[in-house]
Amino acid sequence: MEKESHLWATCSAACPVHTDTREYVRRISMGDYEGALDVLLEVNPFPSVCGRICHHPCESQCRRQVIDAPVGLRLLKRFVVENTREYRVQRRRDTRKQPPKGKKVAVIGSGPSGLTAARDLALLGYQVTVFEKDSVLGGMLAHAIPRYRLPMDALQEDIDDILAVGIEARLNCEVGKDVLFESVKKEYDAVLIAVGLAESHSLPIPGIGSKGVLLGIPFLWDVANGERPFLGDRVMVIGGGNVAVDVARAAKRLGPSTVMMACLESREEMPAWKWEIEEAEEEGISIMNSWGPKAVLERDGKTTGIEFKRCVRVFDENKRFNPQYDEMETTAVEADSVILTIGQKANLDFLKGTPVTVDRGRLICDRDSCTATERGVFTCGEVMTGPGSAIQAIATGHDAARAIHHFLETGETLKLPQVSVETIGELPAQTAARARRFDRVEVNLVEASARIRDFSPIEPGYTEAQALAEARRCLACATGAVLDSGAQCAGCLTCVRVCPFGVATVERTAVMPAQQCQTCGLCAAECPAAGIALARFATNKMKENLEGFLKDCSPGAMKRPLVVSYCCMYEATTREYLREQSQREIEATGILRVMVPCVGRLSAIDLVSPFELGADRVAIIACREHGCMYTGAEELLERRIQMVRRFLDEVGVGGASLQFYRTETSAEASWPRFWQDSKRVLGELSAA
Amino acid sequence: MIVADPKPFQQIRGFLEDYRKILVLGCGTCVTVCLAGGEAQAELLASGLRISFSKDGKEATVLEDTVQRQCDEEFVLPVLERVKREGIDAVVTLACGVGVNFLSDRIGAIPVFPGVNTTFYGGNVEPGLWSEMCAGCGDCITHLTGGICPIARCSKHLLNGPCGGSEKGMCEVDPQNTECVWQLIYERMKLLGRLHEMQNLIPTKDWRPAMDGGVRRSVREHIFRLQYKSGAGA
Repeated sequence: MEKESHLWATCSAACPVHTDTREYVRRISMGDYEGALDVLLEVNPFPSVCGRICHHPCESQCRRQVIDAPVGLRLLKRFVVENTREYRVQRRRDTRKQPPKGKKVAVIGSGPSGLTAARDLALLGYQVTVFEKDSVLGGMLAHAIPRYRLPMDALQEDIDDILAVGIEARLNCEVGKDVLFESVKKEYDAVLIAVGLAESHSLPIPGIGSKGVLLGIPFLWDVANGERPFLGDRVMVIGGGNVAVDVARAAKRLGPSTVMMACLESREEMPAWKWEIEEAEEEGISIMNSWGPKAVLERDGKTTGIEFKRCVRVFDENKRFNPQYDEMETTAVEADSVILTIGQKANLDFLKGTPVTVDRGRLICDRDSCTATERGVFTCGEVMTGPGSAIQAIATGHDAARAIHHFLETGETLKLPQVSVETIGELPAQTAARARRFDRVEVNLVEASARIRDFSPIEPGYTEAQALAEARRCLACATGAVLDSGAQCAGCLTCVRVCPFGVATVERTAVMPAQQCQTCGLCAAECPAAGIALARFATNKMKENLEGFLKDCSPGAMKRPLVVSYCCMYEATTREYLREQSQREIEATGILRVMVPCVGRLSAIDLVSPFELGADRVAIIACREHGCMYTGAEELLERRIQMVRRFLDEVGVGGASLQFYRTETSAEASWPRFWQDSKRVLGELSAA
Repeated sequence: MIVADPKPFQQIRGFLEDYRKILVLGCGTCVTVCLAGGEAQAELLASGLRISFSKDGKEATVLEDTVQRQCDEEFVLPVLERVKREGIDAVVTLACGVGVNFLSDRIGAIPVFPGVNTTFYGGNVEPGLWSEMCAGCGDCITHLTGGICPIARCSKHLLNGPCGGSEKGMCEVDPQNTECVWQLIYERMKLLGRLHEMQNLIPTKDWRPAMDGGVRRSVREHIFRLQYKSGAGA
């Protein structure tokens, strides 16, 4: 990863597991969805989960947002997993593990962090057992995330992958009850505590014991398991975080006429994701901001409502949670049930009486080494970090696996190195201003009135055409033009003059700053020293590539005329034309497709060399009218074609053999027609 | 810098009828900058030749290479060795005429053909356009003309212009594209507050440092034929 520039793209840097975002998006645009899945699974055993529920810090840091909007990376990820299911099953069979190490690791808890660590350790050759108190694996993913956000089968795909590595899962086995921690500790060489924060905090206020007061996590747990807790007609959810929103939206789907949320924070301070709050409001959930619960109102032991006091400040000067109230300003709201979702804690009862230190309900641990206070006992996930995201938990699972591996190999504690990640920074405004805008492909959520009827998924995934359209929006940051080390750069300034984004400069030799380059490739196409290459999507080895395609074709079997067709890959709406052709297909059709990320980056030699390799015709198929991602590419290409046609006339091939087409509607709809046309015109020429 | 234009393809093709192993040699300096003879152009010409030979049924190998400058021994030597080693029987150079000469002087019994027409010393006045600005006459007089050269930029090389062919600031030889340099000189001298100097005639120029005195050489004594390099100073 990052071989090209030693600079991280902001998306990858922002991802806690540093997913190579640009690479999987590139593979999607090339139609290699399986390869994209490989990239995802390299660092994240939960791509199906993350494709649904990840809070996508990658998108939040996407540099495209200063041009128009971030690339829809989460939905692209989802597209990949939804379109590679067979491959994924096949891939499981081919998983390669290191030879058995003869050591055993116990993982307590099967949430994202625990399972990530279990998988990593199993791949390293350890014998891993996961202890799960419930009947299914997944922890909070299985129990606390409502099904409309994360369907069980999506989670199951990831879990099937993980188990395929060879992990023993002991379900319905609660450490501390069904098996004692000490005996686990004795039996295994290392123990990983990954129990998460599976319990909700309560509140010491009057009326809290009344019938109708529920806790958020058990409520979600029940709902996920198909139970329908009594809520009455008016529900008040206390809390402003993501779990509170999940609780409120889940409650709404159980039929009450009114679901409200109340939280200490102002709207801007609410910790829940903005989009989650907006979707909740669309579903008719109202939010009372800056109110703190004062008392639950009850009659005959049954909840009748809740009284609030005004919260005037949530955080103190040191940004610590330290709410202050105006006791004089109060309000009361009628409610049949109140669900408390004000924070979570771990259940660490199983550690009572063991040497593993727990202080006031918190596991004492060292985050830098993922260790608890007892030798050989490790921890990861939310029990270590406090509340966080799934992908954050996954990252700590990797860390814990490394720490455990090191411990089992050396007997020593590993201080995880602090990785400093240098990113390419924001896209400079002057570059962004010159870039073309392309609307982000959005999916329409199910209508709010329909989605509150049940727990069916509310968000459709991308279709193939949508995914391909969205993938092209990736700026492929920091993978742009680079001067070859051996190039004879004369500092001629051609790159500076053709660069549509004002990026290239000459400082003795050409410099294309990675931070700004938009990877259009026009400088590479025009460089008179043939000295500029693109770090990705390179087209500078075109002749070698063509030779590769044609070398096994038999000249006798080749259908004539042979058309080499350079096509703008961004116009494909399926991967039919993106995949590599077989030799037989090239021979039988007499058409060799070459997919190019913008045909504007084809140099003059790229247009001439097919004739040298035996082509009868070169058909360039560009994007649709005004469809080009890159300012200026169309004009430069047009001029280059004119120049090359004159040259081909001189050479004796005939300039008409170089044909130019523009995609109409879509690749699939128009390209076959162009190829036929290309062949026909040649026939006429030959006859004449 | 030196500006050149690609020669017509068929003319180059015509040079090569008798040869079987041909090297197309680009030059990485002036001709690269003026987009006439750099590596990309060498690749293009070589490809065109291969296509043309193949169409004509001529069996020949066309190789390609580019060096930083063809007017320096150190850059050229590896090419000479390659020519010998690989049995190359003709070279087409895309360097300016200097490169053609430089190679021919050193390559032995192998012909060197020009792939470009060397045209002038010029500047890149706008992207894609080069314009003549110096004639290399060896006795620069631009201190008299506001820094603008009448030798290179006047169609008649007049020392005391303009002539009657100056119309609305343009030269009658090419009124679309060529400005009358004497008009330019006039405007420039005015801008510099030196217009009165134009009342003085510029005396007849000494043309001996131009071609008229024979083949020219330039010597820098401080590094010319260092004794220790030849072993004599040891």
